[in-house]
Amino acid sequence: MRVARTGATGPAVILPVAILLVAGCSDAPVAAPPPAAAAESAIQVSPSHCGEGWAHPRAGDQTLLLSNTGTVAAEAYLVDVPGGAVHAELEGLAPGVTRAMRVSLGPGTYAVRCLAEGADPVVGPAVRVAGSAPGGPAVAPVTYNDLYGPAAAYQSYVADGLRGLVSRTAALTRAVDRGDLPAARKAWLPAHLAYERLGAAYGTFGDLGDAIDGLPAGLPAGVRDKGFTGFHRMEYGLWHGEAAGSLKPVAHRLDHDVKALEAGFADERLEPSDLPLRAHEILEDTLEFQLTGRADLGSGTTLATASANVEGTRKAVDVLRPLLRPRYPGLAEADRLLGRVGELLGAQRHGDRWTSVSHHAPADREALDGAVGALLERLAPIAVIAFPRRTS
Amino acid sequence: MSGHDRRAFLRGALVTGIAGTVAAATPSAAPAPPSPPAAPPVRRGFHGAHQAGIAEPPRRRTIVAAFDVVAESRAELADLFHSLTDRARALTAGGAPPDPGITAPPADSGILGPSAPSGDLTVTLGVGASLFDDRYGLAPRRPPALTAMPAFPDDDLDPAWCHGDLSLQLSADDDDTVLHALRDIARHTRGGMQVRWRMNGFTSPPRPSGTQRNLMGFKDGIANPDTGDPAEMDRLVWVRDQEPATAWTTGGSHLVVRLIRMRVEFWDRVSLSEQEQMFGRAKDTGAPLDGAREQDVPRYELDPEGKVIPLTSHIRRANPRTPETDGSRILRRGHNYDRGMDAVGDLDVGLIFTCYQRDPRAQFEIVQRRLEDEPLVDYISPFGGGYFFALPGVRDATDSYARFIQV
Repeated sequence: MRVARTGATGPAVILPVAILLVAGCSDAPVAAPPPAAAAESAIQVSPSHCGEGWAHPRAGDQTLLLSNTGTVAAEAYLVDVPGGAVHAELEGLAPGVTRAMRVSLGPGTYAVRCLAEGADPVVGPAVRVAGSAPGGPAVAPVTYNDLYGPAAAYQSYVADGLRGLVSRTAALTRAVDRGDLPAARKAWLPAHLAYERLGAAYGTFGDLGDAIDGLPAGLPAGVRDKGFTGFHRMEYGLWHGEAAGSLKPVAHRLDHDVKALEAGFADERLEPSDLPLRAHEILEDTLEFQLTGRADLGSGTTLATASANVEGTRKAVDVLRPLLRPRYPGLAEADRLLGRVGELLGAQRHGDRWTSVSHHAPADREALDGAVGALLERLAPIAVIAFPRRTS
Repeated sequence: MSGHDRRAFLRGALVTGIAGTVAAATPSAAPAPPSPPAAPPVRRGFHGAHQAGIAEPPRRRTIVAAFDVVAESRAELADLFHSLTDRARALTAGGAPPDPGITAPPADSGILGPSAPSGDLTVTLGVGASLFDDRYGLAPRRPPALTAMPAFPDDDLDPAWCHGDLSLQLSADDDDTVLHALRDIARHTRGGMQVRWRMNGFTSPPRPSGTQRNLMGFKDGIANPDTGDPAEMDRLVWVRDQEPATAWTTGGSHLVVRLIRMRVEFWDRVSLSEQEQMFGRAKDTGAPLDGAREQDVPRYELDPEGKVIPLTSHIRRANPRTPETDGSRILRRGHNYDRGMDAVGDLDVGLIFTCYQRDPRAQFEIVQRRLEDEPLVDYISPFGGGYFFALPGVRDATDSYARFIQV
């Protein structure tokens, strides 16, 4: 797998800049005036003057200018008063810099919350906004602490999965040791799928992840490169007539690596802020490598891999569900599409065999690709909604 | 195939080469085709110390193609380069080729109409390291810094889209101009070279102003060496060589081509904040995240921990703006590409990244290594390209691209 972007690494870290939760609320062009020219009318962001300078508050779609008048980098949220739901945010705002923040406000009371690096949050003066324009969406902030529980739940799911991975890889290794290649080909898929179900954990796997499930892309000698190891290296050998003798070291290396992964995972901490990102990332990878067949090194089982990836995704959504249910109206549709994708993939399973992408009937393939695309569009907002934000 | 037939491309080239010269001396009466107003104003003729298409801003349309030479001898190779010179000279001058009458099919495809205006075409020819193997006895003349493009760790290279004995870039402001040129050059060089891969590209008009946006929606190519500063160009871009065997390379430049697929559907599913953190620039204005305008220079010294512009961001890794990294700067000349859809129905679009420099190992490769594992790699996939040496310019009507073969 390739994708493993990381979220924030701890509550003290300044988070990314400017998530504007206004998608779809207006077709008006984003016409931010040149910030420098209008800096005198900017809203201040600083511990001592937070929120000052919000002249002429009004309802509707608008671009506010925020200027960090403090001495350290800061983030700023535009929040509901008193609810605290975040309407827009600007992060990594450097001292002396003015940036545009687009937001759509309905009538109500709002305030700017300033979070300067290393300082406690400060909430600026409450501002009444009058008018009749419908406001854009807001989201109740998910804190870093909120994500600990889901991360711990996913961690135990992964720990369970790793035990199955170790035992199934051992079975594969024994078959290769016996020289029984038909048995090895049979044992390969269950072992590989055990890995592919782990999904959201791969950010913690590091180099072992590449050693266990890497593709030959980027290696100078490709499939013949010494650095090509793991399940796909085994797959290439097993489905390209390689002798058991030369596959033995490959199997033993894999066996060693999965055991090392299991042993090391007990000491690893699944980064809580990664989890919301994984909700769509796992299947982004699936779309690129499995549904295209690019990850097929001979076994023709990339749809099986996709099915395992869907399981990993479902688990990620499930552990986040308590946070998402009150915040994400699209959750039910995401669930429905997860079910639909699961069914479409299940239809390509024939006992312990799977339709290969190259033999996938065009109509079935279109239905699957379309459903996965739709699912991804529904999963992507989770990364934004459940991204950890500071409230204290 | 008889020896006579094999050399047919040379005879054709000779005839039209003369025609090209005539056309060049006789300005076409046809008005120039309308060009988009956003086209860069810089225009130059074919002859010069450097080839056109390097220092000038990218044009609205381009074709980048790599060829393998199939000429059977060094003499045929020289003929091929003479043909390329003749066609480049004729096509960039424009004008109708002579009518062969009843002796042959028409000399020109006619897709630009009877007067075949130049459309301010630029032709930029390069040679790959493989041309200097043992086929033509050119090994001693290989530009010292010219190698085959290596595979970098984040690459997923398809051999069918990599390398080549020659590179040819045809640029203009209209699709028909560049396609006409490719069709003409291919016709006159058949039997001498065979296309290996080819990609069409385009640049976008300013949206709404300034540097063009790439297909991720970010302004791309903002920080480039100053092409108006001859000292900077000599320091970073143009090759100067005094060794007798390779002195011919003076005035040329090393070209790196990278064909980079962008996973735009995935990209569109990433929050604006994450996108901006990955680039290090604001998406709307193109300004660095610590600035207000696209040309503002990021002040990394004020942000040593990357709280504002992350240490892993593209602009910070690519150009840390320190005295030590100044010499690794490159002249970027990218175009977007759009070649349809992929197997799962996603857009097959991306970037034809091209850059020029004096030494790819000391420049492009240093930059590339700094970019290894940058967060952006999840959204892009380099699948092709190659290293080439853009030949020195053809100086005048008596000079040719074949100079390095003959000296």
